[in-house]
Amino acid sequence: MAESIFDLTLRSIYISSTAAAISFLLALIIALKLLDSSDKTRSIVIGVFEALVGVPTTVVGLLIYMLLSPRGPLGALRLLYTPIAIIIGETLVALPIAFTSMFRHLQSARYNVRELILALGLTRSDERSLLLRETAPILLSSYFISFARAIGELGVALIAGGGIEGYTSVLTTAIALQTSIGNYEYAIQLGCVLISITMLIIIPLRLLGERVYGA
Amino acid sequence: MELKLIDVWHSYNGVNYVLRGVNIAFSKPGVYVVIGPNGSGKTTLLKIIALMIKPTKGTVLVDGVDYWSLRDEGLKNNLKKNVVYVHDKPLVFRGSVEYNISLGIKSRNPWEWSKVVEYYMSRYDILNIRSESVFKISTGQAKIVTILRALLLGPKILLLDEPFTFLDKDRTRLLLEDIVELSKEKVIIIATHYMYRELDEVKNQVIELPLLTQ
Ligand SMILES: Nc1ncnc2c1ncn2[C@@H]1O[C@H](COP(=O)(O)OP(=O)(O)O)[C@@H](O)[C@H]1O
Ligand SMILES: [Mg+2]
Repeated sequence: MAESIFDLTLRSIYISSTAAAISFLLALIIALKLLDSSDKTRSIVIGVFEALVGVPTTVVGLLIYMLLSPRGPLGALRLLYTPIAIIIGETLVALPIAFTSMFRHLQSARYNVRELILALGLTRSDERSLLLRETAPILLSSYFISFARAIGELGVALIAGGGIEGYTSVLTTAIALQTSIGNYEYAIQLGCVLISITMLIIIPLRLLGERVYGA
Repeated sequence: MELKLIDVWHSYNGVNYVLRGVNIAFSKPGVYVVIGPNGSGKTTLLKIIALMIKPTKGTVLVDGVDYWSLRDEGLKNNLKKNVVYVHDKPLVFRGSVEYNISLGIKSRNPWEWSKVVEYYMSRYDILNIRSESVFKISTGQAKIVTILRALLLGPKILLLDEPFTFLDKDRTRLLLEDIVELSKEKVIIIATHYMYRELDEVKNQVIELPLLTQ
């Protein structure tokens, strides 16, 4: 018998929320750096990320597989078919959407923040904290979007994670497996869990965020 | 604190000059009124005086120091702190009225800011909206918020860009009172397209735009 839905779900959440957190932080660091870059650099980086938003997850999975496979450049780390391999891959999968969903907002908020900093003669550290505070709701949804992208992807989890039961199997790989062996009912149940999990996590946190951060 | 503009020119696009050879000095405390029609460069001039934009040409001297040639960020910030500007359109940030008023002073003076915030909120009769989201108040109320945010920093030079637009009669009178009181020790520079009668009575000097090239 396949492992319980509960364990699968928990593992999915753990792997994808970790990947989403890392990609969110990377995106934020890149975005803040880019605010001070030249127009040309900025356009190029935005273009690259926009182009990568829809990158096939199987391609990212393949990339991670080649990097981590025993004869690959990082083979010595022995990470292939581990949860960490999925986390690395899903971080890459979610990074472009994490970045593009936050950058424009940071950029326009930055204009007003800078005006205030100059008008009142505040410091650069005030500028940073005011910018993050001002964009907090956007940053929150940016994290959720990354999470949704990570938990819903199959390519990386299958190719770099291997869908090993009780170890690297997640909701999407389990759906693929159950469908392939004709266990449709179970596959459909897993699909429903996958969709509702995203909503059950995101909607309450959103409402809470709205409470805390105001309009 | 003395602030001096020497032969200041400014252009946003490199072709048309908004300011042409402006020379002014602010050394004595008082109320200075910058007057001129829309588009005559009042806001531009105020932002240059406020050390917010670097003029295309010319020198801005603060206590004899050429501000824009300074390299040391710490030194620049120390000078900049004394010169505070209030935008014509109220510039507010997500959060309550009280949060917005205390934005600047909190960072300058983390331990002792609530008394002075309280004082000004009660003086301008906005205690009843202190917890209101700043996006839900009227433009006039938002304007007061941004003026108070600057007033309570107690800068040596305070620049107010069209401060009376959107304000009601009572708050205009209060603000004029505060301006007169402050101007005994500080430089207050007000940009306006229209010379209000009350302002006319308290002003020390009028700067008319467009200025003649010198
Ligand atoms: N940020 C800007 N970029 C380009 N042009 C500007 C900018 N700000 C002002 N200008 C132009 O400079 C001129 C003077 O504007 P401003 O200083 O705001 O005048 P005033 O405050 O007297 O109405 C206007 O023609 C305006 O279009
Ligand atoms: Mg103006």
